[in-house]
Amino acid sequence: MAGVRLVGLTKRFGTMVAVDNLSVEFPDAQVTCLLGPSGCGKTTLLRMIAGLEQPTAGQIFFDRDEVAEWSSSRRNVGMVFQSPVVYPGLTVFDNVALPLRGTLPGPELRKRVGDVLELVELQAVAQRKVDTLGNAERQKVSVARAVARRPRVLLFDEPVTNIAAGERITLKRAFKRLTTEVHLTLVYVTHDQTEAMTLADHIAVMQDGRLVQYGPPRAVYRAPRDRFVGWFLGNPGMNFVQTRAGIEDGAALFAGVQGAADLALVGFRPEYVAVSPVPEPGYVPARVVRAPITVGGQRLLTLQAGETTFKAKTHYRQAYTAGQTVYVNLPADQLRWFDPAGAALLRGTPGRRGTGPDGE
Amino acid sequence: MQPSVMPWWRRRLPQPLFAWLLVVPVLAFFVIWNIVPLLWMIGLSFYRYILTFGVNPVYVGLQNFSQILQDYNVWAHIGLTVLFVIGAVGVETILGVLLGFAFWGQTALPGRRLALTLLFSPMVLAPVAVGTFFRLIYDPMYGILPYYIHQLFGIPAPNLLGNGSTALLSVLATDVWMWTPFMILMTIAALGAVPRAMLEASAVDRLSIPRRLRYVIWPHAKFILILGVLLRTIDAFKTFGLVSAMTAGGPGNATQLISLTLYREAFDSFSMGSASALALFVLFIAIAFTSIYLFVLNYQKREVTAE
Repeated sequence: MAGVRLVGLTKRFGTMVAVDNLSVEFPDAQVTCLLGPSGCGKTTLLRMIAGLEQPTAGQIFFDRDEVAEWSSSRRNVGMVFQSPVVYPGLTVFDNVALPLRGTLPGPELRKRVGDVLELVELQAVAQRKVDTLGNAERQKVSVARAVARRPRVLLFDEPVTNIAAGERITLKRAFKRLTTEVHLTLVYVTHDQTEAMTLADHIAVMQDGRLVQYGPPRAVYRAPRDRFVGWFLGNPGMNFVQTRAGIEDGAALFAGVQGAADLALVGFRPEYVAVSPVPEPGYVPARVVRAPITVGGQRLLTLQAGETTFKAKTHYRQAYTAGQTVYVNLPADQLRWFDPAGAALLRGTPGRRGTGPDGE
Repeated sequence: MQPSVMPWWRRRLPQPLFAWLLVVPVLAFFVIWNIVPLLWMIGLSFYRYILTFGVNPVYVGLQNFSQILQDYNVWAHIGLTVLFVIGAVGVETILGVLLGFAFWGQTALPGRRLALTLLFSPMVLAPVAVGTFFRLIYDPMYGILPYYIHQLFGIPAPNLLGNGSTALLSVLATDVWMWTPFMILMTIAALGAVPRAMLEASAVDRLSIPRRLRYVIWPHAKFILILGVLLRTIDAFKTFGLVSAMTAGGPGNATQLISLTLYREAFDSFSMGSASALALFVLFIAIAFTSIYLFVLNYQKREVTAE
């Protein structure tokens, strides 16, 4: 296994910039998820690491080796593609064993393949032809084939996207088992943040070919570096509200307002909004705008307080109707501050507990 | 089809009648130009009918066929034709596959599209035109090829088409010139049938080139490639214009392919009865090839449905 370091990596297709001067290091034996909306360049980045796409500029290091000029074969990476790739006409066992034949003696090869098949729970179908398997199992075969070779770096390109929804969970479970039992340098491309949150040691959020934020999933979730990350992570994403607070020395202040251009944005996650059907101390009134929808056992409310519309997540047991007046509170430690361009500010205004989103 | 968007004349016509109207011209063409002459030919093959004798056809039963089966010359010409087919198709396939691979690997080659277009040009030429041209190229007095052989090896300019031992090879070389591009295009098409992700996966998996050929390329490319070989085989069996223009079967019988024998029987001897019988005989051989071709196509379908 090896760590992956990218330095100033750029890929242009004609005039379109897919990956823009990107530098990052994916640590050895850890799972990194490349996360971003469609077309942000994450798959192109992965294909450059695999050697399937030639970078326009920049360097790729596996540990100390500069591999950007190497062929895919020489790089010794394992890759799982969006659609399962299996070698037709061969059994599951032979599919996994094929790249190893000639490099390992028979008994060792059988043990290696057997172990990996057990890890992805395919030992029961080891002697079946891959052509008879469903998509999810085929994808497991391609995962097993990549892992069994013990490559320096494993690359997964949206491996569950083309799998039927019902079968995805077994694949994800296999991935989780894989990442906890085998220590792999795994770079995993996905646009599904739940996947990223469950599997990753680190996530790298990309937008328009640039790396926006890199860090442990919880840290990125709690402290998004800019408005895009806050909005993209979370379901639904962060609420953003224009405040009357001015900015000074990288912090939002309620004093010293110069003009509208200097006003700070406040961001808060819907799940941190406390909602009560009855008035409570420190709560401000808000109106339920639309009939609430239920998301994963939670109720998603669209609320309006003053001029400000925002979303809140509450327990599903509490019923609300459109037009109803409720009372909301935002814990000050859950507020994140951003400048008008959307970049995170170092700190917000201290000591103003219990303000409503439009309040001062 | 929505009734409301149909033109008025289609709404007037009952549906089955309209379908028949579309099919009838094709059927009529097929019956008049294919079925009737074929049946006519089959009938004629049971008669002795020599145009120049001015005698009405005489029914002779299977006599024409038994004569063909006993005729040493017919068997010799069929043998020569088989040799020609194996040689020509074999060389065209090997060259075509090698060059096809070379083309396939060079997607960034400048002028690749132009080169691919030019590859079509020998195929669209009339075989008689190609034959005439190559007869000039091979001409021992004026031809460019014997001239260069003379210059390079210091031997007298050879009469390639006039020599019994080189005539068939010379015709075969012309056929290779004409039809190798077809096999190149079939190879490119066959390789295009290999999914890109599979090629990428096999490269990432560090499979050796022979293994990539065996496990990745062959399973996807084989059907189009086999189809190409079969089409070439059937077509090479019917080679006529090329050899007719180049050697007319000579010298002696050195390049006497079965199609030429057939032509001579019909239009030199005007022996329509035995020519028809021979044509039927060749038709059976062609049907045998077509059956193999259909079998391969069905084989593909069976494999697809088995998946």
